[in-house]
Amino acid sequence: MNNLILLVVLPLITAFLLPVIDRFSTLAARWSGPLVLLITTFIGASAWLQLGTGAVSLELGGFRPPLGIVLYVDQLALLFAIAVSFGTLLLWPYGNRGGLRQQTLTLLLAGSGSGLALSGDLFNIYVFYELVAVVSYGLAVSLRTPAAFAAAIRYLIISGFGAALSLAGIALIYDATGTLNLAQLAQLAPEKLNDLQGLSAFVLLLIGIGVKAELFPVNTWVPEIYATAPKRVSALLAGLVSKLAVVVILRLLVLIFPQPEAHTLLLVLGILGVLTGELAAWRARDLPRVLAYSSIGQLGIVFIAFSVPGEAGVFAGLAMALHHLLIKPALFLLAERWDGSLAGLTGAAKASPLGAALFVLFSLSLLGIPPLPGFWAKLLVLTSLAQMGAALYYTGAVVIMLGMVLEANYLFRIIARMYQKAPSTGTPPGHGRLDLAISSMLGAGLIAAVFLLAPLADRLQGIAAQTVDVNQYIEAVNPVPTRNPI
Amino acid sequence: MDMGTLMFAGALGLMLIGTAALVLSGHLMRMVFGLALLESGASLLLVLTGYRSGASAPIILDGVVPASMVDPVPQALVLTAIVIALGVQALALGLVLRVHRAYGTFEMREIRRRMERDICDQAGLELPSSNEVPEPYPGSPKPQQGEY
Amino acid sequence: MRQYNSMRRLTSLLFLAGLGLLLAAILQRLNFGQPPMIVGDAINAAAPAQVGAANLVTSVVLAYRGFDTLLELTILFTAATAAGLALGREPGDRLADPEAGPIVRAGADLFFPLLLVVGLYIIFHGHLTPGGGFQGGVILAAAFFMPQLARPASRLEHRMTTLIEGLAGATFILIGLLALFEGEAFLTPLLGVGTLGTLLSAGTLPMLYLAVGLKVGAELAGLLASLAEMGAEE
Repeated sequence: MNNLILLVVLPLITAFLLPVIDRFSTLAARWSGPLVLLITTFIGASAWLQLGTGAVSLELGGFRPPLGIVLYVDQLALLFAIAVSFGTLLLWPYGNRGGLRQQTLTLLLAGSGSGLALSGDLFNIYVFYELVAVVSYGLAVSLRTPAAFAAAIRYLIISGFGAALSLAGIALIYDATGTLNLAQLAQLAPEKLNDLQGLSAFVLLLIGIGVKAELFPVNTWVPEIYATAPKRVSALLAGLVSKLAVVVILRLLVLIFPQPEAHTLLLVLGILGVLTGELAAWRARDLPRVLAYSSIGQLGIVFIAFSVPGEAGVFAGLAMALHHLLIKPALFLLAERWDGSLAGLTGAAKASPLGAALFVLFSLSLLGIPPLPGFWAKLLVLTSLAQMGAALYYTGAVVIMLGMVLEANYLFRIIARMYQKAPSTGTPPGHGRLDLAISSMLGAGLIAAVFLLAPLADRLQGIAAQTVDVNQYIEAVNPVPTRNPI
Repeated sequence: MDMGTLMFAGALGLMLIGTAALVLSGHLMRMVFGLALLESGASLLLVLTGYRSGASAPIILDGVVPASMVDPVPQALVLTAIVIALGVQALALGLVLRVHRAYGTFEMREIRRRMERDICDQAGLELPSSNEVPEPYPGSPKPQQGEY
Repeated sequence: MRQYNSMRRLTSLLFLAGLGLLLAAILQRLNFGQPPMIVGDAINAAAPAQVGAANLVTSVVLAYRGFDTLLELTILFTAATAAGLALGREPGDRLADPEAGPIVRAGADLFFPLLLVVGLYIIFHGHLTPGGGFQGGVILAAAFFMPQLARPASRLEHRMTTLIEGLAGATFILIGLLALFEGEAFLTPLLGVGTLGTLLSAGTLPMLYLAVGLKVGAELAGLLASLAEMGAEE
């Protein structure tokens, strides 16, 4: 277990040394990145087998909590850390696309993303979050077009604004409690953060971390970046980075801010996210922006689910988040060659039958057609909302169903266009072999999930139960009470 | 007004001024400066949370441990936060230079308009005629060039 | 269009007013001068024996929260890489500002060794007095950037800075991994604590600070040089 720190530092040290390695051998530099990601995936997977349903904390520097920084390893954290390693391996810039700097940035994303999932210290989370942010600015300008630079600076300003606010939120929490260790904060929160100061801290942190989680209203960067960045980068940001931010928000919500006001705020912002995202996706006229706006809508559903307190909401939200993590990267990879207007997609199925078939599969799951996993995830969200029995939660359920109607409309519109007869002006291009192979792999995973639905659901329910178990978190970290709480 | 309220008011005031520059100015360079002010305000807020009345700096000189020392943790955190902000601002200035090179303006509205047009051009679309992307109205000041 | 503009201004003002109200409400509740200091007091009590740095802030920066420091170095590295991606140009087109006047040139020559010595002094005394790798690193960066201000035509050797930043960053991580191979946790300080308040104390901390100083210096010098080269193109 102690070697799990390698998930973070192995990609970092390789990124530092990549320019040096490159000077000696270009070939070695090109392959060291995928090799390291393969190793970290393997380390993560073997730790997963070892961990079972337990939880451990790693004390960095060997200092007892709460003095030092701890990494907290439970199923949720480890699952997302493995997803980061494996995801960056799949979406690696193979074939030397973009050169050394892109590879360096992708490695840095792998290291920082794993750290963000594993960290058990509030300020450490902030630092990891900023690292992920700076990496994503760099990846967003990969194509070096004027529009990409403009989108990146707009993204940087929104994200920097959020980061400063979350820093202020951390200051408020430290002012009230005098500690940054999440386990100790969980101990102290009911007494010290259950007031206006605690709630303000939550609002500030939510705005800050919500930028990456595509939370309404700090998500204006989403369509601009996803339209101007390479689709591989969009896949990384929409698939992985947004989910990591979601995991951080979930942790904070469960451990530090269990107040009902916090849940209500999340519910309202989630509803607005679904409404604005799906409406904008319905209006959009090119595939990358349809996918970008639909991503905002899907994450809105995740937030609506997390606003249901307790295990049921977390279970439903995680199911939605993991489902989106699987299919959005695949859809963006398919959009690599289909990034023109929707009208240009007429007859695309003829040029790339497999690509079109995969697009149909992912669209149906995104929409929630049984028996695909997307249906069960949405069903979980809707039933957990119905059980709450309050007017605002019913509103959430109605809005999700309204979103599904819009989704059905715009997705079927695209699919119908693809299977029309191609115009005489020429067919849209087919897909790159690598993009198609990775999408097929993700598609196969989606279909496998249909057959393994029962065991997967059991496991996910276990993860949700562990996530909401605050006592297990506190016991695993076991911060030494250095002074009696006043 | 006592000392503490004054200090905290200063930190929060800096944050407010920075945010005002971000949402009101619409000038890219001023927005980057606003971001710097906002970061400074948040850092000041953080370091103030460690202050203890009458205590000394957390440094042991000649083996003498002071009776009461301020909290060393926020000072270390702020050091980290400042360096992070420095890196982000350097990158932001680089991007601003690039954008100015490409579009010849610092006006955020103009930049956004040109960016939307570029995106639509690339996708082979016509620019949407919604009020999302307003044309500059007649009589508006021309985007200034070479101001910085 | 005017309507749209004033609408936007109105929303911005409303948002600002809301934020102001939130901050004002917070202001009432913050306590000044009596922090809870749960972690702070514990560190103040334990650090001299546990870490051995006379400057307790250094103990926090490099030992208790050394991981944060590694990450912040990584952020600087990432920002420099991303700026290189954004600002980088094709080789061949070299444009430069004209050379500065004799005063600046002589000053740059004069200050270079001085800044170098001061920077290194501040880095090596980081565990004893205020200062350390970041502050010293910035001074080092200034030392290497000043000649460039004086003579813009003589470019900073980017190959050199990438080599230094790569190796310095790797050294920081390797020192941390060394502890891992010894069976301790990542980044556990090694080599004992030594005598409190002497130059050779606090175990591996001064080494870490040297790595930090070199990396910060190389990183910032590289960033400044990229920005200056970009500006000179205009």
